[in-house]
Amino acid sequence: MAGRLGLLLVVAALAAVPPLLPKYALEVLISVLFFGYLGACWNILGGYGGQFSFGHAAFFGIGAYTSTLLFLRLGLTPWLGMLVGGVLAAAFGLFAGYLSFRYGLRGPYFSLVTLAFAEMLRVVAVNWKAVGSSLGLVVPNRGSAPALFLFADKLPYYYVILVMVLAVLGITRALERSRMGYALAAIRENEDAAEAAGVDALSTKLAAMAASSFLTALGGTFYAQYFAYIDPSLTFGPAISIGGLLPAIVGGAGTVAGPLLGSFVLTPVSELTRAVLRGRAGADIMLYGLILILVISFLPNGLVGWIRSRRPAAGRAA
Amino acid sequence: MTWLFLQAVVSGLLLGGVYGLVASGLSLIFGVLRIINFAHGAVMMLGMYTSYWLFVLVGLDPYLSILVTGPLFFVLGMLIQRIVIEPNRAAAEHNQLLLTLGVALVFENLALVLWQGDFRTVRVWYSGASFLVADVLVEVPRLIAAGGAVLIALALWGFLRMTDAGKAIRALSEEPEGARLVGIDVARIRGVAFGIGSACVAVAGALVTPFFYVAPDVGETFNIMAFVVVVLGGMGNFLGALVGGFIVGLAESLGAAFLPGSLKQLVVFGLFVIVLLLRPEGLFGARRGR
Amino acid sequence: MSNDQRDSQREPIGRRRFLTTVGAASAVALAAPALGRAQAREVKVGYMLPVTGPLAFEAQLALNGLLLAVDEINGAGGIKSLGGAKITLLPGDTQNKVELGNSEAARLIDQGVTALIGPFSSLVAFSVRQVTEKNKTPFLLLATVADNVLEGGLHYCFRMQPNARAMATLTVGNMMEMAKNAGVAIKRVAIMHEDGNFGTTMGNHVEGFAGKMGYELVQRVPYNLRSPDFTAELSKVKAAHPDLLVISGYYGDSKIIAETAAKLRIGVHALVGLANAAYSNPKFIADNRELTEHLFDGNYWHNPQSARARAVFDAYQKRFSATMSNHGVQGYQVMFVLKDALERAASTDREKVREAISKTNLTDHILTQDAIRFDEAGENVNATPALLQVQGGKPLVVGPARFVEAKPVFPVPKWKG
Repeated sequence: MAGRLGLLLVVAALAAVPPLLPKYALEVLISVLFFGYLGACWNILGGYGGQFSFGHAAFFGIGAYTSTLLFLRLGLTPWLGMLVGGVLAAAFGLFAGYLSFRYGLRGPYFSLVTLAFAEMLRVVAVNWKAVGSSLGLVVPNRGSAPALFLFADKLPYYYVILVMVLAVLGITRALERSRMGYALAAIRENEDAAEAAGVDALSTKLAAMAASSFLTALGGTFYAQYFAYIDPSLTFGPAISIGGLLPAIVGGAGTVAGPLLGSFVLTPVSELTRAVLRGRAGADIMLYGLILILVISFLPNGLVGWIRSRRPAAGRAA
Repeated sequence: MTWLFLQAVVSGLLLGGVYGLVASGLSLIFGVLRIINFAHGAVMMLGMYTSYWLFVLVGLDPYLSILVTGPLFFVLGMLIQRIVIEPNRAAAEHNQLLLTLGVALVFENLALVLWQGDFRTVRVWYSGASFLVADVLVEVPRLIAAGGAVLIALALWGFLRMTDAGKAIRALSEEPEGARLVGIDVARIRGVAFGIGSACVAVAGALVTPFFYVAPDVGETFNIMAFVVVVLGGMGNFLGALVGGFIVGLAESLGAAFLPGSLKQLVVFGLFVIVLLLRPEGLFGARRGR
Repeated sequence: MSNDQRDSQREPIGRRRFLTTVGAASAVALAAPALGRAQAREVKVGYMLPVTGPLAFEAQLALNGLLLAVDEINGAGGIKSLGGAKITLLPGDTQNKVELGNSEAARLIDQGVTALIGPFSSLVAFSVRQVTEKNKTPFLLLATVADNVLEGGLHYCFRMQPNARAMATLTVGNMMEMAKNAGVAIKRVAIMHEDGNFGTTMGNHVEGFAGKMGYELVQRVPYNLRSPDFTAELSKVKAAHPDLLVISGYYGDSKIIAETAAKLRIGVHALVGLANAAYSNPKFIADNRELTEHLFDGNYWHNPQSARARAVFDAYQKRFSATMSNHGVQGYQVMFVLKDALERAASTDREKVREAISKTNLTDHILTQDAIRFDEAGENVNATPALLQVQGGKPLVVGPARFVEAKPVFPVPKWKG
């Protein structure tokens, strides 16, 4: 009960505080939620499924490009284009996933092949004139057009990403307690044993892949509408792939709150480092690297795992 | 057309030799420690900076600096393994991968913080040397780099074959349980393997410095190439990595010469994905498991 | 001591001075009352540059230009129409990252700047212009060359330097003109460009204008700028037998390309950079004397015939102990465009300043062009790049005709092979 009340307070704070914040703080908060969102999407396949993708930018980019191209060429509102992008990303995820899982790629091999897929998409986008090649795509400035996922102010974007994050966290929580969730957990622990116990590993992993890729693609559309510009390196690049999985790992892969918590820790750390060490570019990423090493070494279950292990009678979810 | 083909082949092979040396180190590390070292390219970059600073401060020729870089990075590699990786050797595979990613982030950004992002170049008297063989250009620094890479890789192969330490390394990579039973100091050997792998890639960096520039992110290209080569040649297969290097160098160069745009990268990655899917043990590998 | 040794041991004095100047400026800015009031004692101007990170070196040069201009303006009594208000420069460091561009812009706007200058990289510009447009703050682009940055009906964004289209068409045009005068035709053109936004934009223009300008584009090669070897790409170019090779790239890659092209005996009349980061860069030239001799580059530059330009160069040399680069020229001039607008607006109100900028008609400048005027989109209608050639270790203006300071050497024998 206390947990639920606490959760309500947090959500209420997240909803009520932002209008009072100065522009700069709002920007940071949007960034926190954005990477928390990406981390939570990645978490479905990576944390819960145990399949560590290093190329989630592939789905992100597909989402961003699809909705933007539909918007620019056909005038389709990005709210719908987003869904089309999600479906295409899921299709690609199923394709890549099927190839990888069917050919038995696991662990680091799976990570490498996802990395390769994302890079290949980037190179294709760079060399494809119809999608703008390296010039990218500009989302025109039309002031406020909510029906077209365009807002004149930053605040509405904040609420959009807030809803998106809460939705994914809700989905994750539901997943955790579902049959598929149990199947994923079994696969994550020991895939062969799970198979022997009757779990259809291939279908389950593919389902997780589809969900994860669909949701990640929605994040791509958000990015396109928020920054109003996309190009191959921004959307298919390692910054998105790594930027998405770091918060999940640091916060706790395979937990509901992990990715968001991880992002709440990492993003301000980065801002603070930059503010304190002005004139030292790269110091913040160095700190990221150190945090990553420390978390893996000492908190292998992330922050959430550590917090849980400290509570005496922790009521752990499955 | 034939000239274009020949030129692409020659320059591809020359760069491929370097890829081979970089990949050999990575392959060795994988064979013994079973981890994919994301920090490999970053170590190469540090090796390049070392050559650069030795040249600038002391006037030491980059090729001669190998005598310093090699041992220095052997020690550094052992330290990394001892401090970061060994304590976590029981952790999940993907976590170990993330550890090396963390190391990579730290190294690359350390370089950025210390030395800024400016491109630095080393200009030696032979930097501009080149000759033509039937109209095909061969640049001397690249030739030396390729030749040096091959020699060093072969020397290492010999070391693995003929010395006790080398045999211990091979034993550990082929049969970890058995190696332990026979009394091999497994922890120490792991450190040695990582050290050798790091020394290889740092030396490759020194070899490349006379014709490439030095900047915090130069290791990234070689990092990706190394993964592709190792997968092609077979994880843990030292000679396979060398041959794989030539193949990848060739594929890249021919791709650049005959494909439109900058699609040569697609050739390399495409090769990568196909080998991963169809023959994950590599063209020359017969290793157990994945 | 080799050139390299000397370079690395001499710390750019600019950097030290930058830290103290900015430190002082920041202290003043933080202490000063916020938000623009019409009769403020100072005018706050924010800059966003990648002063740390991969573009730090060039960004510092641009910043030096800004600092020089601010000193000159303040030293001459500030903005007269505002009762002698001095310009206060507020710093922003983008590290060349998009998110930072956004947050730095937001932060500076919160601090009450009248206008923003920056941000160098086109990628960062795309996101910053959103912020400045939403906050109705005038944004003067600095070293941002991508055409589409001003796309989309923006009101608050202005670009002083030539955009990519102008760079490409005028540079190639100047080369062809010069070739005609030397009695050697340029009919076959090849371009190698990095495959990012910058290079691709240039490539698109060189390709797009081929027919109109009377040449055939025989080969277009985009390349990955991180590649350690460009021999195959250059071989592809050589096999197409061009008369002219255009190179749009960054520092490291342009260096390797020039070296390899020379060794391959690429067979062109000349090698010309297109807004190239290296070919008219004093550091690159100093480090590679033999290679760079007679290289051409089409780039933004100062007017060597202008007495004021010479005076500015002297002032720069005195203050920063280095030759002013084209980045510095950009920084210097853009600040004076703003100063001119402030004088006419007689206000620090952002709307009035924007209005004044849009009506700019400035002839007292040090660039290679006629009057500075902005069109509807915010582009400088008369922006013209200069055609430069390295002669005797110095980049000299060899075109357009009215700004020339030396005769071009064309064709260049060493590229002919």
